[in-house]
Amino acid sequence: MMEELAEVPWAVIAPLIVVQFILMIIALVDLRKIHATNGPKILWVFLIIFTSYIGSIAYFIVGRKQS
Amino acid sequence: MRGFTVLLQKEFREAWRSWKFLWIPLVFALLGMSDPLTNYYMMDILNAIGNLPEGFEMLMPELMPVDLLQASIGQFQTIGLLVIIASFVGAISKERASGMATLLYVRPISFGAYFMSKFIVMSTVSLISILAGFAASVYYTVVLYGTFEIGTLMASFFTYFSWLLFVIAVTLMMSAAFTTVVATACAFAVIFIGQIVDAIVGAFWTISPWKLPVYGVQLMRGTMEMSDYWWSLSITLAITIICMSIGALTMKKNASMTKI
Amino acid sequence: MTILLQVTGLTKQFAERVVVDGVEFTLEKNTSTALIGPNGAGKTTTLSMLTGLLKPTSGSVKMLDGNLRANIGFLPQYPQFHPWLSALEFTEMAAKLNGVPAKKAIVEAQKTLEFVGLGNDLNKKIATFSGGMKQRLGISQAIVHKPKLLLLDEPVSALDPVGRREVLDLLKGLQLETTILYSTHILNDAEEMTDQLLFLRDGKLVEQGTLREVRQRFDEPNYVVEFSTEKEAKLFASQSELVGEAKGRNVYIEIINEKPSMQELLQYLSSNPYKIRKVERQTASLEEIFMKVARKI
Repeated sequence: MMEELAEVPWAVIAPLIVVQFILMIIALVDLRKIHATNGPKILWVFLIIFTSYIGSIAYFIVGRKQS
Repeated sequence: MRGFTVLLQKEFREAWRSWKFLWIPLVFALLGMSDPLTNYYMMDILNAIGNLPEGFEMLMPELMPVDLLQASIGQFQTIGLLVIIASFVGAISKERASGMATLLYVRPISFGAYFMSKFIVMSTVSLISILAGFAASVYYTVVLYGTFEIGTLMASFFTYFSWLLFVIAVTLMMSAAFTTVVATACAFAVIFIGQIVDAIVGAFWTISPWKLPVYGVQLMRGTMEMSDYWWSLSITLAITIICMSIGALTMKKNASMTKI
Repeated sequence: MTILLQVTGLTKQFAERVVVDGVEFTLEKNTSTALIGPNGAGKTTTLSMLTGLLKPTSGSVKMLDGNLRANIGFLPQYPQFHPWLSALEFTEMAAKLNGVPAKKAIVEAQKTLEFVGLGNDLNKKIATFSGGMKQRLGISQAIVHKPKLLLLDEPVSALDPVGRREVLDLLKGLQLETTILYSTHILNDAEEMTDQLLFLRDGKLVEQGTLREVRQRFDEPNYVVEFSTEKEAKLFASQSELVGEAKGRNVYIEIINEKPSMQELLQYLSSNPYKIRKVERQTASLEEIFMKVARKI
């Protein structure tokens, strides 16, 4: 297992993971601050955390309630 | 253009506070990264999934850097455009439907200025987004495959940006003309169905806005027929300006649609 | 008095339905006018046309003293704000869009917000505002540029009694400086703050004038005589030559064509051995007048 982990080219993969992580954090921070969402907030928490970046995109497009 | 700077500031604040300046570029960066990475590690991925027959050797085509950029642009053209259209198509129609527009429309503002301020903010978000997307794609391609020629890369970038201005103008015009649902349908139809139609029967013509993203790539390959390119670019910019004018006019005409 | 706004033959038709039908009135400078009428009478549609947001089918709205669009402040019944802006940012933007120079706009915005009681919430995002705060912000965005004409659609209907009192007092404070036209279906409010009444029913202006004029036209006042005991009241009602109806200790005497006059009544009462607690002339409330107007065909 450790060997396999060492084989992963982290230097190459790291930016990808970092960008995904930032996107997720922004979505979560916004979710924390926003007044109301379309659909239950907890659902969005799960979607954002467990569906890589698709959940975050979906949240920003349809999850945020503006008025 | 009465109230232009004030409205521009309002639009910037909105885009900034709803994180559009951050999350959309991040999505484009991810899209830009995905193709160079997955292609490069295709064999590893296949191996990791396992069950490849003994002695299996897949013939991987020899990929040039420009092929990977083209693949990335393909990503922008699907998920990227979806994100941009979906986040901007309500810009005018939603403001009307919610009644937020009422307190602005009732003042002596110029609708041209209001339309322009929205257009400029969206263009800026899009510019930063494709900058992030191109940068991510180019970075991985350079690290994993090989280098680009900077001049044609820039040309390709700005060609793609011109196409995006067209997309934004169409989207905003639809938003000015219709309710959000209808506007979404119409904008998707023009942009996506337009692409499909252009791909299927587009062999019969060489000048079209929908061909512009591909032409940008062909500039890099050096296979572009330049007169077709310039004509397409000019027509795209002309249609963009026409859409903006129609948009501003219909925005004014539909001002009474705002919920009071 | 100088006339500020002249409305002639204002009509709005949606498909086959005439929502506002030939409404005509004038507004004098620095007066308050209440636009009243039952739900669906066309109050909001009328106001929308005055703001210029809605184009009339026919008729005209003329401001005799400058451009209409640049000189109005408007508060819709349910004002919607951009929730990601702060109260100060929104009010400042409103001022600037009406042509107030940038430096002055921020000062005016601050002053106005303090005036409406949002002095402590200047930098809070509107998303966090309660209904009452939004209504105050709504007033501030309507008055920040010092418009000549203030159009308010049901400015206090959605507020609780305390909020209603406070906002009403705010508006009364404004009465001296600007011309106000507001719609309402709460007649106590109209009674408190009005120089002119406009009754709208089914899109038509059925009654207009000052509160006093309308009163005179529709008033059917009573005298109420309160006796010390119910027995006396009954006795008086049955014996007197004045037509009276006893209810408890009170006797209500209808006045027909100013008969009887107060004098006659007092004479009659003093010539009889009754113990009287109170004699009062009772005028109809605006609400009663409203009911009459609303039913009148």
